[in-house]
Amino acid sequence: MNNQALDRRLPAIMQPEPPKRRFSPGKAPIVPPGSVTGRSLVLVIAIMGFLACLTAGAVYMINQSAADWLRDVSSEITVQVKPEGDQDEVEKRSQEIVKFLTGQIGVSNVTLLSLDESAELVEPWLGQVSAVKELPLPRLIAVRIDRDNAPDLPTLKAALTSKFPLATLDDHRGWQQQIRRVTGSLALGGIAVIVLMAAATIAIIVSAARSAIASNREIVEVLNFVGAEEKFIARQFELHFLMLGIRAGIVGAVAAAIVFLSLPVVSEFLSGAATNADIRRLVGTGRLDMLGYASLLIVVVAIAMICLLTSRFGVRRILNAQNQ
Amino acid sequence: MIRFENVGLRYGLGQEVLRDVSFHLLPGSFHFLTGSSGAGKTSLLKMLFLSLKPSRGLSYMFGKNVTRSTPEQRAELRRRIGIVFQDFRLLDHMTTWENVALPLRVHGKRQSEYAEDVTELLKWVGLGERMHSYPPVLSGGEKQRAAIARAVIGKPELLLADEPTGNVDPQMGRRLLRLFIELNRLGTSVIIATHDYQLMTQFAAPRLMLEHGKLTIQG
Repeated sequence: MNNQALDRRLPAIMQPEPPKRRFSPGKAPIVPPGSVTGRSLVLVIAIMGFLACLTAGAVYMINQSAADWLRDVSSEITVQVKPEGDQDEVEKRSQEIVKFLTGQIGVSNVTLLSLDESAELVEPWLGQVSAVKELPLPRLIAVRIDRDNAPDLPTLKAALTSKFPLATLDDHRGWQQQIRRVTGSLALGGIAVIVLMAAATIAIIVSAARSAIASNREIVEVLNFVGAEEKFIARQFELHFLMLGIRAGIVGAVAAAIVFLSLPVVSEFLSGAATNADIRRLVGTGRLDMLGYASLLIVVVAIAMICLLTSRFGVRRILNAQNQ
Repeated sequence: MIRFENVGLRYGLGQEVLRDVSFHLLPGSFHFLTGSSGAGKTSLLKMLFLSLKPSRGLSYMFGKNVTRSTPEQRAELRRRIGIVFQDFRLLDHMTTWENVALPLRVHGKRQSEYAEDVTELLKWVGLGERMHSYPPVLSGGEKQRAAIARAVIGKPELLLADEPTGNVDPQMGRRLLRLFIELNRLGTSVIIATHDYQLMTQFAAPRLMLEHGKLTIQG
């Protein structure tokens, strides 16, 4: 051995107790982010996030509107008085019923609708004709009930019909059931759409994980050679997928929030107040409240979790298959 | 430390590239592995590195039968082995320093614990000026030294080197050999696969000779 080559001190790792010193150069990611999550993948997941947020927001909005409708509908009952006899008789009978109802426990307000108001209600079907008032329309009495001290409706109904056989009480129960059925179906449909999107996102992430491992095969081999366990290698990939999920989810949620914020303005701008009123009738104010925006955040978290867990299990499964 | 009993290896349905290989290497031993091209040196190294499983026979590493080991067990055993590849296998997106520090990072050590050791080792192998360079701009010899530094940084119990001095000048070759010898003195078993007879004459160590898939031990 040439002694000239031996004149240098041995490195510290050759010594039994390596000295502790400080030095801190940069620490590059073991798997470069660009090789795992390209722009097109971010875009696809962001679109998925956007659609999922839109669906979640719309379902939330419809449920809120339905709850408002139900609240309104359940706090009011209607009494119809059959128009038998001349108008004076019907008017007198109606006033008696109003008097009877006003004295009942749990009734907060009783309003007899005028003939003009009743005519307005049938106007969408019959049109604006003066002859409507001549038709034998039943007189309507709107009864607002005290929600904190609600009356026993079957008892009230029995008392009313026994005293006034020509009066019928409608507690809107059928209408409420219909609203519940429709909103329940819409919510289920929305959930089904979100589940399908989640499934599509999982499939995309599995495929992306496969190609990420293929394009980083050399890195995976080196990591195997230096004794990295599967979970360590998987972590190098899943961190990138988690960041992808968070980034794409936020982009999708922000885009969806912009849509929800601008929905009333855009619809009013495009079609005028009539369309806006239609939308309001269908989806309430057409705006999300704070809880609605929180539901978009939940979608972001869900997308990030899907990306994290799918890549974790996907990468570990692929590595396991390679190592067998 | 390493025991092979009648080990045979074939790729697919082809002929056996290694036949009835039997040897027993003690802890702290130093061996050269030599033989003509195609004799099976790299295949034997891959088996020693748990990258290939024998087609037949029994192999024990660190006292454990690795013929039917799980991926977790192999990862655990590989942490006790350092390897220098003929084609270096450095990661191009990491600096030389980060490449050398990789095994320690994988083993879960904090950067503050190993930073100075990595720097010192790189200086010792003559890469002090190149530690922040990326592998694509290193010469073949520099890559070789970086690969050796990565293999020894974790103070492995077994060091496997495939033609470790193939791309360096004789003086650097001697320095690297000294590094291996010093590691061996500290208890690391070393197996160097080489064609370089000059290198083998510089240190008296037994030779594992492979010819046509058969292994004999000289010295």
